[in-house]
Amino acid sequence: MATLLVIAFWTAASVALALALSRLQNRTSAPQAAPFLGGGTPDTHAWQRYHFRAYTMTLLFIAFEMEMMFMYPWAVVFVSEGLKAMAEMGMFLTILAVGILYGWREGVFRWE
Amino acid sequence: MSWLARLAAGAPAPVYPVIGEGAQPRVERLFASAALERAQSPRAAALLLVSGNIPEAHREALDRVHDQVPRPRLGLHWEGDDGIEERLLDAWRTLCAGATGDADRLPDEPPNPWEGEGDFGQGGEGMMGGVPYGRPMAMTGEDVRDGLELDRYTARVGPFAPMLPPGLVLEVTLQGDVIVACDVLSPPYPQPEDADDPALCAARMLRLLGLPGPADRLIRGGAAHAIGARRAIPRGLGRLENAGDARMRFADALRGRNGGAADGIFDTLIGLEWSEAALALASVTPSALRQAALEVA
Repeated sequence: MATLLVIAFWTAASVALALALSRLQNRTSAPQAAPFLGGGTPDTHAWQRYHFRAYTMTLLFIAFEMEMMFMYPWAVVFVSEGLKAMAEMGMFLTILAVGILYGWREGVFRWE
Repeated sequence: MSWLARLAAGAPAPVYPVIGEGAQPRVERLFASAALERAQSPRAAALLLVSGNIPEAHREALDRVHDQVPRPRLGLHWEGDDGIEERLLDAWRTLCAGATGDADRLPDEPPNPWEGEGDFGQGGEGMMGGVPYGRPMAMTGEDVRDGLELDRYTARVGPFAPMLPPGLVLEVTLQGDVIVACDVLSPPYPQPEDADDPALCAARMLRLLGLPGPADRLIRGGAAHAIGARRAIPRGLGRLENAGDARMRFADALRGRNGGAADGIFDTLIGLEWSEAALALASVTPSALRQAALEVA
């Protein structure tokens, strides 16, 4: 019961505060609600779908993330297996490096 | 006047300048003062400073900007007479003391009223077919970079946009913030020769780069001391025949030299991001830009 009262009190307090603030503030007029374009006007709403071109970033993420994912268990095995595990990791990294080199050629590291 | 209002009145006065014909250099010099703050949008301002002649065709745009300054607001006219800084500070103190300020000039009605039709009151059928508040949604078009079908946003920017030269009205179509189409609807206002002063030209670019401090120092006659500002301008931006790129023109302006003609500058804007386009336009002198705009408008 006490918990409910506390919740009810804070809810009422926040609603009262929000109402008081909304009355204090000047009401936004229609020209103020329009986007500011230095006196110009838009043809359409500003809500638009654009592509953030994640594919190159995804390639890079997979190249590095797969590397790290494999390296943690490998670090444990490396202690017992030694040079053999080292060679295996070398092969794995080489294959991944091809992906990174491909990404480089595609301009993954260039921010656009 | 409460202690809070007194404290606010002591702060730099936030002013949005509306620059008309022949007023650009004097307004730019005025805002090198530490007592005034040049607001980046009317929303951040309390005072509207109208300087120089505003053509009749741009009166409505002026009224729109005036109404976009939140209440309480005050508008002032300045024709180059002395004592403007004191007038602005007086107006700012008056507002802080509780003055009601200027009334709205445009009717308080939405430009596109609510239609009240459709499943969600969007005024039409389907997800994209509606015209919420009587204004259509953006429709798709081919992207200039890779041909993906993405939404296009078309708007007219100016004549009082802070990032564009005063008077210039551009009809731009954007995909994300990349310009895919750009038309000049109105050329920049004629300005006195003084506006081509290399210090003012470099200061405009510094301001766009987000460095108002070095810009003010330059206008006051000192050195910019803006380390790395030149390198912040992308290489090859706004490259023109016989006039180099924006980075080179900025370096020249810092050395006190002015660039030449700006023919073809508007063609270089396609494919640029909005911020880069503003920088490219600011990299040429106002007189050269007006000449280039008159040729394509």
